[in-house]
Amino acid sequence: MKLNNEEINRYSRHLTLPEVGMAGQLEIKKSRVLMIGAGGLGSPLGMYLGAVGVGKIGLVDFDVVDHTNLHRQIAHTTADEGRPKVESLRDTILAGNPHVEIIEHSGYFNAHNCLAIVKDYDLILDGSDNFPTRFCANDAAFFLKKPLIHGAIFQFEGQVTVFAPHLGGPCYRCLLPEPPPEGAVPT
Amino acid sequence: MLPGVVGLIQATEIIKLILEGGAPLIGRLLLYDAMKMNFKEVRVRKDPECALCGVHPSVTELIDYKAFCDVPLPGAELSEDIDEAEFELSPREFKDAMDQDPSAVLVDVRETYEWDICRIDGAQLMPLSSFDPTTTGLDPETTIYLYCYKGKRSMLALKELKRAGFNKLKNLSGGIDLWAEEVDSDMPQY
Repeated sequence: MKLNNEEINRYSRHLTLPEVGMAGQLEIKKSRVLMIGAGGLGSPLGMYLGAVGVGKIGLVDFDVVDHTNLHRQIAHTTADEGRPKVESLRDTILAGNPHVEIIEHSGYFNAHNCLAIVKDYDLILDGSDNFPTRFCANDAAFFLKKPLIHGAIFQFEGQVTVFAPHLGGPCYRCLLPEPPPEGAVPT
Repeated sequence: MLPGVVGLIQATEIIKLILEGGAPLIGRLLLYDAMKMNFKEVRVRKDPECALCGVHPSVTELIDYKAFCDVPLPGAELSEDIDEAEFELSPREFKDAMDQDPSAVLVDVRETYEWDICRIDGAQLMPLSSFDPTTTGLDPETTIYLYCYKGKRSMLALKELKRAGFNKLKNLSGGIDLWAEEVDSDMPQY
């Protein structure tokens, strides 16, 4: 794998950072990242991961862009209302960087399809907004030994951690063995 | 703006993992409070008793996650003998019933911040968070029409009133959200 001249120019400020360099930029280009959720967390995630040159980004979301999403899901614009979020986010990412390959997984992420989706990626991002999806992402990432980058928000607080039991760290179930009662914690 | 901060921390962790550089957030839960504008870090250890990654796991394959997460709120299972359908009215039926009932009492069980966004004319506010069926001052002889945002919380209030001896009760099916669609097109939706 090589960078073409346009890419070398595009990523030049990375290439001159010793911590990244040409080897690092090629690692970024080789990487395959799955994003579960193309909403509030998925918007900035997708835009930045695309801009920095992640080679392959998978997008999972079943939803369409709603008017009430626009104030925080910044990859989607007013003109995107009613479009599937994976399509809207794909267009935004590609507008920023055409060198990214986007794979759309439009639909729910659940026990029936999660392993088939996750197996083709190196790193899994959880930007979902509900507990069934979080537990499903955790278990799929565990069984396939992929790091899971967890993010969640509630009102004015947010949390981030990396679950990588295969590297000696905890998983989501170590943090939350049982789901909270439905309705007790708004998602 | 909160999702931007959290999403970009996740993105940063992704690039660090790809480059195998720095100290990743493995075993560390980073908590961000936008109001206090501070970050806290909590250690999260691998739990040897974990059902998935512990020493003797009980979860050895994928499960039904929807069913696993379907944990009822404490108390929600009380009085499941009530046939909810008997009390449900569509927005149009709800309006017609109130229009024909001169003594109708309309109760909104949403929270104050929702009441401030929109409300149905003539309603009185009794937020479910502080709802006590014994001190409402409502008359059990008049029909009480209940609503909330989507119709779930008002059904909980209805059940509490039923247990407290009220029998003439109606619930707005679909809540004020469906009311805005089917009855009052000037009502904002949130």
